[in-house]
Amino acid sequence: MLDGLVWLAEHFIGMFQQGGQVFTSLVTGIVPLLIILLTGVNALVVLIGTERIERVGEWAARDGLIFYPIRYLVFPVLAVFFLTNPMAYTMGRFLPEKYKPAFYDAAVSYVHPPLGIFPHINPGELFVWLGIATGIETLGLSVVPLAVRYLLIGMVVIFIRGIVTERITAIMWAREGTKTAAAATA
Amino acid sequence: MRSFITNLGRSVGKVVGVLYQAGRESIDQVLKNILPFMAFIALVIGIILYTGIGDWIANLIAPLAGSLVGMLIISIICAIPILSPLLGPGAVIAQVVGTLLGSTLIANGSIPARYALPALFAINPQVGCDFIPVGLALGEAEPETVEIGVPAVLFSRMITGPIAVVLAYLASFGLYPGY
Repeated sequence: MLDGLVWLAEHFIGMFQQGGQVFTSLVTGIVPLLIILLTGVNALVVLIGTERIERVGEWAARDGLIFYPIRYLVFPVLAVFFLTNPMAYTMGRFLPEKYKPAFYDAAVSYVHPPLGIFPHINPGELFVWLGIATGIETLGLSVVPLAVRYLLIGMVVIFIRGIVTERITAIMWAREGTKTAAAATA
Repeated sequence: MRSFITNLGRSVGKVVGVLYQAGRESIDQVLKNILPFMAFIALVIGIILYTGIGDWIANLIAPLAGSLVGMLIISIICAIPILSPLLGPGAVIAQVVGTLLGSTLIANGSIPARYALPALFAINPQVGCDFIPVGLALGEAEPETVEIGVPAVLFSRMITGPIAVVLAYLASFGLYPGY
């Protein structure tokens, strides 16, 4: 009976000791780098200044095929890097109503891909990246190639998401318009 | 001469102030967001590793996470408009799933290391789906825009979520050869 209780207690503590070891490796392995990187990028963002990004917003609001990459690639990436999650979405205020959902889609989809290199963008949700990256590190591989590809493919993905959401928004908006017009004439 | 020194002093003072404040903000972020989540994740991983459930879970989801079709299925399920706003908040589900995938399947080689790239997209098509009204409000959107924007983004994700997985899968060739 006593042996059973001792067994239970040992394994109970054992579980939490294992957790403690994991916590130690996370804190000593990642937190120092994170603190220095966060300090550096926070300082850089303040020194460059967010007003310059607002000027890009006015540029991104224009109609025309050429402005698609500005609106759903350059602008979201800059907004997310300089204002981080969630303040980046305030940059939507420079765009016409019809582009706002698509800008939000593109911007919010880019708060995770750069995290391997720029964790300041979304430190509260770091483990979407870090959870998988830690697995790679356990294999003894460098996470940098993965981080770079994640960042680059992320750009392609947000560009596609911006365009698709803009088109769907436009279709739904037109349908709303015909519905209210039909209701008015009925 | 005197004004040069004054200006120099002022600029140096400003830069030092910015750096100091940046240091304060980063410590604040680490204390408030990162360390708490590390505690949570360490607890979960500790239990998984110690009890060996990790291997059991890995065997269960390896077929899903170990193939392109499987990851497409994961991303389609996560992108379903009813589910995606529920899975989105705080990215908690995505973070736990990411940690599970990383610490079990990838760490013990059950799936090729390069599948980490499509996996990063497969677990996250629901990003921001819970936050659409707030995100649009931050952008000073009118109520009509929010009314149309919410379903627009949710439906768009059903298409672009799996597309992201496919693109990432194609881009993963040449990553970590031999693993």
